[in-house]
Amino acid sequence: MTRHEASPYATVMDDSQLTGRPIVLKGAGPYGGDLEVAEPLVTGGKTWADVDRDICMHAEQFPTKRWWIAFSVALAFLGLLVFALITLFYAGMGVTGVNQPVGWGSFIINFVFWIGIGHAGTLISAVLFLFRQQWRTGINRAAEAMTLFAVACAGIFPVIHLGRPWFAYWLVPYPNARGPLWINFNSPLAWDIFAISTYGLVSLTFWYVGLLPDLATVRDRATHPWRKAIYNALSFGWNGSHRAWRHYESAYMVLAALATPLVFSVHTIVSFDFATSVIPGWHTTIFPPYFVIGAIFSGFAMVITLMTFMRGYFGMKHYITINHMELMAKILMLTGMLVGFAYSTEFFMAWYSGSEWEGFIFRNRAFGPYWWAYAIMFTCNAIVPQIFWFKSMRRHTWVLFVVSILVNVGMWFERYVIVVTSLHRDYLPSSWGMYALTRWDYAILLGSFGLFFTLFLLFVRFLPVVAMSEVKGVMDPRVARSAGPSPASSGATLQEV
Amino acid sequence: MMPISTTGVLAEFYEPAEALAAAVKVRDAGWTHFDFLTPFPVHGLDDAMGQKRSWIPWATAALALGGILFAQGLQNYVMVYDWPMNFGGKPHAAWPSFVPVTFEAMVFWAALGSAAIAIIAGKRDTVPQPPPDVPTGATVDRFVLWISATDPKWQAEGAQQFARSLGAGNVRLINGGADV
Repeated sequence: MTRHEASPYATVMDDSQLTGRPIVLKGAGPYGGDLEVAEPLVTGGKTWADVDRDICMHAEQFPTKRWWIAFSVALAFLGLLVFALITLFYAGMGVTGVNQPVGWGSFIINFVFWIGIGHAGTLISAVLFLFRQQWRTGINRAAEAMTLFAVACAGIFPVIHLGRPWFAYWLVPYPNARGPLWINFNSPLAWDIFAISTYGLVSLTFWYVGLLPDLATVRDRATHPWRKAIYNALSFGWNGSHRAWRHYESAYMVLAALATPLVFSVHTIVSFDFATSVIPGWHTTIFPPYFVIGAIFSGFAMVITLMTFMRGYFGMKHYITINHMELMAKILMLTGMLVGFAYSTEFFMAWYSGSEWEGFIFRNRAFGPYWWAYAIMFTCNAIVPQIFWFKSMRRHTWVLFVVSILVNVGMWFERYVIVVTSLHRDYLPSSWGMYALTRWDYAILLGSFGLFFTLFLLFVRFLPVVAMSEVKGVMDPRVARSAGPSPASSGATLQEV
Repeated sequence: MMPISTTGVLAEFYEPAEALAAAVKVRDAGWTHFDFLTPFPVHGLDDAMGQKRSWIPWATAALALGGILFAQGLQNYVMVYDWPMNFGGKPHAAWPSFVPVTFEAMVFWAALGSAAIAIIAGKRDTVPQPPPDVPTGATVDRFVLWISATDPKWQAEGAQQFARSLGAGNVRLINGGADV
């Protein structure tokens, strides 16, 4: 058996035949033993030409009724966001729930929540790329788009939290006529500006570089001259030249290598906003890894939510197979356990440190007036994902979907617990207080989901939702080739051409 | 930007392995102005075509260094020279708190710069390409050999013969931007 024949993706399989276990080829190993090969990443015996058809179809046909309904709902929530923001700017911060002593409210919670969701895309595209995880090709495009839209949602919140958002540009260090008055580079809040904007722009670059060959594919399929011209300009006239691929691949590798530490740095710096303060419950060294792992956890949950829709409604089952979902479920379970471990470590340290304030804060978190938020957080994040010990649960679409939603609910409450419970009872019992979201807090939270889904639905409408050129690279050529003489006979036909 | 050759030969292959085998023969036959248009990067094809490793990582390193110097320069200028402030008696040049911004600036410069340079390099560090209006199928499922008429060895008949001898399908002479 030649190397080519032993290609791991050789077998034509249908979705229902996937087991999530390797295929054992008896006696096919190099020394006559058994050979275990992975199941194919693309099912249904698709050819390379089928990939283009199946994936570009959604961007080429008139949107379906289902798309319009989803888009209308998303737009309605986006409208709610705009309305709530206008109200907020007109009336001021008094319409929200923040007050003494809880000065950081839902805006900071939502900011950390959305930035966390934004972690999975670049993790999938960069970290899994460096680890040669080829299953990433089916999901990386949509996951990266999700990252961009989540970062866009996150970016709103620190700005509106300023209270005077029209002065947001003061956060950028540039020579100005106010002194010049510079930002304080010792402040984690100033680092955040750099971290978030770098993350957003580098993720955008990474995503766009990945898109270039696919935009050229869309251009070559286009029939309308304007459409051709627009996609040609967007792809910078890509023609598949291998002399360009050489630099492209090198740049993609470099981007992955740069984005990998970047993913870990962003939430680390977000956690510094808390960890460099002297508030009990925030002032801990565990925060950077704890935040990063929580971010990956929530991001993968959101990827599972979106991929469930893409499999179900956009017919991507052949490209995003149940095996992909199972692998993500495994990551979800692992990160869920790490998050649970972090919760336990916090408690242990609160006791072991002997710090009275730290001990009080953690007792108050779990058993104080916000016990219900802590209970939701712990149940959804540390207990629910344990269901994925069972293989049948990891491969069950509805279980995956429900767990992914619960995880994101839990992760929202994690940030709620961190922000609110540490602030509402500080050192002086005379200044204790309670915090509750007002209707405008809820409107802005729901509205941010409107923005997120509006952007995501526009993305599935106009761009290829699966990285076609990357998926083609992990398909078996003997199944995927669609024309020409077969490899065995090419020697005989060469004179006839 | 991208050099375009209006004349040349296009020849199709249908699998990466065929393209790899053909590329070695084209290279060894002494052609220089040739290229393969492929739907995805074929591993080993740059080697088979006789291309060196991409120099993009050197540009990345230079840009990363630029980002580091920029961020260090800005922060030290602001915090030490232009607007020195006393924050709890801490030193003005508090280097640990300059690390996050330095890191972000390094990644920002290196990533965006490398991507831009790679796109430009793909256009300039290349050989004359086939006319863009000739459909090749290379963005779908064809692995297309392109031999440009600018090659010193060029002979219209000879290039077509050569392409056929490699086992290629659909060998086409492109002349003045159109099939002949």
